[in-house]
Amino acid sequence: MRNWRHWKVAVTGINAHAENPGPGLAVARCLVEHREFRGSVLGLAYDALDAGLYDHENCQSSYLIPYPSAGDEALLERIKVIHALEGIDAVIPCLDSELQNFISLRSELAGLGIKMLIPSREQFNLRAKNHLVDLCSRIGVAVPRSKMLTDPGFFDRVAREGFEYPLVVKGVFYDAAIVYNAFEAKAAFSRLVGKWGYPCLVQEVVNGDELNLAGVGDGQGNLSGYVMMRKRAVTDKGKAWAGVTVVDEALHATASKLVRALAWRGPLEVEVIKGTDGKIYLIEINPRFPSWIYLSHAVDRNLPVAVLRMLADEKDVQLTQHEPGTFFIRHARELIVNLKDFESVLVNGYCGGDAIDRSA
Amino acid sequence: MTDSLLAGALSQCSGDRLRQLAVSDTGFVFDPQTGQSFTVNATGRLVLDCLKRSDGLEEAAQCLAEDCDVPLDLALSSVEAFLMQLGRYL
Repeated sequence: MRNWRHWKVAVTGINAHAENPGPGLAVARCLVEHREFRGSVLGLAYDALDAGLYDHENCQSSYLIPYPSAGDEALLERIKVIHALEGIDAVIPCLDSELQNFISLRSELAGLGIKMLIPSREQFNLRAKNHLVDLCSRIGVAVPRSKMLTDPGFFDRVAREGFEYPLVVKGVFYDAAIVYNAFEAKAAFSRLVGKWGYPCLVQEVVNGDELNLAGVGDGQGNLSGYVMMRKRAVTDKGKAWAGVTVVDEALHATASKLVRALAWRGPLEVEVIKGTDGKIYLIEINPRFPSWIYLSHAVDRNLPVAVLRMLADEKDVQLTQHEPGTFFIRHARELIVNLKDFESVLVNGYCGGDAIDRSA
Repeated sequence: MTDSLLAGALSQCSGDRLRQLAVSDTGFVFDPQTGQSFTVNATGRLVLDCLKRSDGLEEAAQCLAEDCDVPLDLALSSVEAFLMQLGRYL
């Protein structure tokens, strides 16, 4: 097996919409800026306007791949073509919606020599929003009171159902809205169901501080590495725009308990609220790195590199002591794209700096 | 009322909790547990330092009284007032 330091690593989720960026470019940046990494990152994008396609500082070359809704066979065919041209050593999937396809392709990709540190389908489903309450009640982790919804009529009988406004309405994969009355709730429900499908999750609002933990599970029940962060500024969608590393033992204990219960394999993000009562309430578990993962590189606990080390069967992922007090502040900037590159993406589904013919 | 406020502040500001705080020479305080930061003036920094080094309010007041050369009861009420204010940030 080639040394991980020289791998060609494919990364997905390289869209960078300012209000809700995908994690892929941050993962790529963690890899290319790591002092030991001598390999390269290949961007896998879904849309010609995904910024990572043109960000050659982080993605040496990039390819369009079919949307997750096209299914695993279409994804496999496209990856086979890209693999034949590039020789991919590993893939780090970075979006929730594509993981089911990558899980289906685990053995096929392994057969091609492409490694992935991802959960099993069972692990993936157990942490999904619609199963989270069951999981948490089984292992003694507090969650805000929640209900799965397929009928928006619920919002007219909230009090009879034992809830009260404001409520959080969440899409099955992404997105959430705080609603203060039935009118707002039904509008949010329609929007979320239209975008992400049924069901929706409705949850009571818990007041407190929002804390996040990004980590990597080894598949044996151990949290091999983690970084904890508190959001200091958020976008309209509630995504972190600024944050700071913190040390919260209760959050660490909760995340360790979840990883142990799930025997989680791969990256994850645990989102919690530390209530004004001091108790940790689990909000959700995302089955991939968060978009703020570059902070892990900044505190010398580079978790994407830890994934590569684990895939290379290194026992020690070599993370330093977790230190609080390192801030990040996100900013948006324009990437300049020339017509030739844009044309290449639209016509060939490829953008990069060399001269291989990828039109096939 | 003041007693209950003080009791609440004391539970928020245990010795271990205060010892976690990173306090710079300029009085910039960073709480590694919550990620919050705030500033204290020179006297506040002195009281915080006394509280971090002491086992209780009386001992911290004793330390403050000696450092500032003020009567013990004045130092004690100052430490209590500071602690009630600090409890709002932790």
